[in-house]
Amino acid sequence: MKQLISIFIAICTFCNVLCALNPLEEEVGNGRYVIEGKVFPPEEQDLGPWQVDTRIHINGGEYIGFIREDGTFVIHNVPSGSYVVEILHPDYMYEPIRVEINSKGKYRARKVNYIQTSQVIQVPYPLRLKALSKYRYFQMREQWRLTDFLFNPMVIMMVLPLLFIMILPKMMNDPETKEDFKQISNLAKMSEMPEMSEMFTTLFNRGAAAKPSTSKTKQIKKRQ
Amino acid sequence: MGVLSNCVKPNFLGLLKCLNSLNWFIVFFSLINLSVCIYEDQIGKFDWRQTYVGRIKFSQFDTVSTAKKIIVATEENVLAALNLKTGQVVWRHVFESASTGNIQLLHVTEKVVTVSGSNPYLVRGWDSATGVLLWEWSLTLQNEDHVDFSEWWVQNNMLVHMVPIFGTHIEVTMYNVFNGQNKGASSKLPAPWTNEGCVLSAPYYTCISGDVSSGLLLSLDVTSDAVQLISRPLSEYVSLQSSYVNLSPLDGNSVIPGFTIDNRKIVIIKNNQLELLKVDVTDPSASVTVIESVNGPLVLQAWSDNDFSAVAHSVSTGSEVKELQWSDRELKLPDPEISSALCTKSSREQLVCRILVTAADDSTHLIQQDGRVVWSREEALSNVVAVEFVELPVSDLDAAIESEFDQKEGSIWAAFSRRLQTQIQQLQTIIQGLHKGEGMEEDATSPLVRDYFGLHKIIVLVTEVGKIFGMDNLSGAILWKYYEPNLDTEGVVVFTRRTARHPPNDAYLTVVGKHEESGNGLIISLNPITGALIGERLLQLDVQLLQVALLHKPDNEKLHALILLDKDENVQILPISAAPLVENMYMYVAEKTTATVHGYAILYDGKSLIAQKTWLTHLGGGPGSGHRIVTAARKAPGERVHSPGRGEIFDIDGGALVGRVNNTSLVHTDVVVATCVDAASGAVVAAQAHRRARALALAVHTEHYVAYLYYNDKHRRTEIATMELYEGKQRWLAAGAAFSSLESWRAPSVSRHAYVLPAAPSAAAATTTERSLTDKHILLALSSGAVVEVPWVYLEARRGVGPDLEGVVPPPPAPDVPLPAEARLNYNRTVARPERVYTAPAGLESTSLVLVTGLDLFYTRVAPSKTFDLLKDDFDYYLITIVLGALIVATYSTKYFASRKMLKLAWK
Repeated sequence: MKQLISIFIAICTFCNVLCALNPLEEEVGNGRYVIEGKVFPPEEQDLGPWQVDTRIHINGGEYIGFIREDGTFVIHNVPSGSYVVEILHPDYMYEPIRVEINSKGKYRARKVNYIQTSQVIQVPYPLRLKALSKYRYFQMREQWRLTDFLFNPMVIMMVLPLLFIMILPKMMNDPETKEDFKQISNLAKMSEMPEMSEMFTTLFNRGAAAKPSTSKTKQIKKRQ
Repeated sequence: MGVLSNCVKPNFLGLLKCLNSLNWFIVFFSLINLSVCIYEDQIGKFDWRQTYVGRIKFSQFDTVSTAKKIIVATEENVLAALNLKTGQVVWRHVFESASTGNIQLLHVTEKVVTVSGSNPYLVRGWDSATGVLLWEWSLTLQNEDHVDFSEWWVQNNMLVHMVPIFGTHIEVTMYNVFNGQNKGASSKLPAPWTNEGCVLSAPYYTCISGDVSSGLLLSLDVTSDAVQLISRPLSEYVSLQSSYVNLSPLDGNSVIPGFTIDNRKIVIIKNNQLELLKVDVTDPSASVTVIESVNGPLVLQAWSDNDFSAVAHSVSTGSEVKELQWSDRELKLPDPEISSALCTKSSREQLVCRILVTAADDSTHLIQQDGRVVWSREEALSNVVAVEFVELPVSDLDAAIESEFDQKEGSIWAAFSRRLQTQIQQLQTIIQGLHKGEGMEEDATSPLVRDYFGLHKIIVLVTEVGKIFGMDNLSGAILWKYYEPNLDTEGVVVFTRRTARHPPNDAYLTVVGKHEESGNGLIISLNPITGALIGERLLQLDVQLLQVALLHKPDNEKLHALILLDKDENVQILPISAAPLVENMYMYVAEKTTATVHGYAILYDGKSLIAQKTWLTHLGGGPGSGHRIVTAARKAPGERVHSPGRGEIFDIDGGALVGRVNNTSLVHTDVVVATCVDAASGAVVAAQAHRRARALALAVHTEHYVAYLYYNDKHRRTEIATMELYEGKQRWLAAGAAFSSLESWRAPSVSRHAYVLPAAPSAAAATTTERSLTDKHILLALSSGAVVEVPWVYLEARRGVGPDLEGVVPPPPAPDVPLPAEARLNYNRTVARPERVYTAPAGLESTSLVLVTGLDLFYTRVAPSKTFDLLKDDFDYYLITIVLGALIVATYSTKYFASRKMLKLAWK
């Protein structure tokens, strides 16, 4: 970590020295500045020339930067102001950074927060940008798994009655449960609920009697 | 995690509350699932992308690296490498679209050097094989006055910049190409003879001085240390009859500096001497260049009168080169220009040439020495201005079936015979299909007939240059093209006046634009299926147009008439016979600069049509207030809002929606004002002002709501604001009663909200479906090249309020609109510089077709409520058959076993 920090400092000072050495450029540009930084490639390096696919958009394409072989970039001729630096790669996500250049040419880089705009979390400048993660554009295809199949409500609906059919007769043989079962059935009789199937049959029979047109269906039934 | 830690509180009430909030989360996640995204194996199944580079400005062959390429720089500020064999883009860099990205110079050796921008300039070096940036330096010129005339070229690793100051001197500055170090200060060469008609053929700067009769041809090598002015009387080269003689430089990276005089004589500069070639320019429109070949330099000319022709002569002898000559009747290239050419010698001592030709219709062709086209690119498609999706006609067989049911008259026997006939036809086609199946599968391309789900359509694209394309939406293949050089496509509109549903009448599509020179109306009518001109064909009006609309009632031939309002407020109708059909027709004209909107009622007085001014609205609070209209959004003309609500009469269907407005205007100063104006009555229905904001010209209006985007200067972020119009708590009209804007006496209640959009949008559109029953999603194209689908529920004002009467739970409240990667329609197929998003309904109610235009074209289809009317494409037919089969087997086997058991029981 310390090493990193020292490298940061070294880079910063180096940049300052560069700026000091080359003050002419900035004066010539009538208050035009450069935004610079370094982009680190994604971890998996099977992308070929990732530098070509990576673009740098400032304020949504107002200025566009390109990356050199080593990942560094410089955006020239930017007047003072506030800019959102986006690193765009089709497959990898980078965090956008807001760079503010005041009229005296002082830089400040911070994280972009669109919701709490006054919140400042500073990041080092010149920018050092690492790929956060790979974009996940796609849904995963559901794969066939036995557990999925077993816990499927349809399957459970089919399997559970089967179990009841198989296990209940066995349980019936047990005398204690027989007793229990009798009690339960007695309870059910106590309520004297009219039986559902009976209700329906009486209902439909009456309906059939009322309609003479259903004689055809009877015929069909007879044939069967 | 926060929720979980809250959960650990011991009391029961807390647990309940926590469960409630968890409930929110469940709802939230279920909504995220709503945002449709595709599976990885569906890449390219429903979508395609075509990459373009734009009209070629500079091009040069890269002969150094192993993979042969052409490096091009284009008018669209794109630097790209094209594969020499296929014409496909190898690598591409898109510069800024503004003048800061303008490419001024392309120089290709082992490395590619570009100069881009316009003071300050950027000099960049690229690796030609990979396209990686090698170096970059900025160059700012002190004197900005004459920068427009500056010329750039590279000579011996030095970048030369030349600015002529006409009448006095030429300023020449040289820089080291790699680091910008200045080789001494800029030198000033005295040149009082320079004028605007001078041409540069690097490093010589050539002018005609004096009038034609006593004119001198002066040429100067501006890079040499010693100033040596070459001077010749003009009469040596041309007979001095014309009053004006113009010089033009040679095209296509001529290897020897030279120019043409009056498009007739070719003069080259050799050994500091002007040399008139023995070859004359064959055709005044010819493009001339000098190319290097093994037999010495050749003069190559290409032109097209009726057929596209080219011819080559030897520079030294003037003799014609037999191998390099062709004349092609098939190829129609308006105003061809040789962009670059390269000749090599093949192993069999034959001349092998590759010539890159760019035409006025922005197409680019790579042509061989014998005239064979190796590949073509339609670069006009990098600049699409209008798009229309057109239905395909039904197949002959389906048409026969439909016509069978159309015929109502006739006896039962006639109907029966027709039935038999059509069934025999069907049988025949099936047999034919079988025969074809046995043979070779040559006819792989699907025929241009409507498919069962109405997903197959033709996309008609009008491009800025005036070329109209018909494209197959499933494959992206170009079916036909039509080039109209006189078409100025600013504000062009396309109307489908008759769909292909009405055989025997053909489909009918009309493009209304302006004439290039006069600005008068220019109307092109064509059959969108074949691209052939029909009906009015090419019609030039003698007046400028204000507004165009389509009559909503078709005439006898099922053709919708075109109503044209011209500058003098006269109305024309095409065809004239449709004039009596005009009824309840309203139009509006919005003036951008003054922010005024005029409303017209189009009336038929028994003889002709008249436009009556009905209303006028000053959106900016009167003239001179400095307001202007940034964009006007109207509902798509064919849009159904549960019922055909178009023009001025709206049907309200059951729901509580009212006051559908046809026009949204954004007025721009430091204040962004969004105003909803009823286009029939001119009444301002709703308005919303945003202070300290900048308007983006993006607004979407469908159904009862409006969404628009603006940049909030205070918080430095983009926001999307929505306005929804409701009847309010009480119903105004009886359910199903027609709403009329002319009789509306109550203002609708408006619910509005703005959300933070964490991206830079560049285009917006709403999905459209056949009957508008499906959910609406807003499609946003971002400057990063992504096209994101945002469900409308995320933009509603009532987001986070709680479940409504129907039990629909909106997503939880948040200040921003989520843009997850799954919502990206184009996954990693980035669309460079997206400009517009077009949507069209498919035959399936669930599906909407989407085309994103910009530098690239991207087509896909979206299903906002998932494809509820279609089986999933991964539907497992095998599994269901196996399960069904197994169940049947199980039933019968159990029956068998049960009967056996019964039998056994009976025996006991």
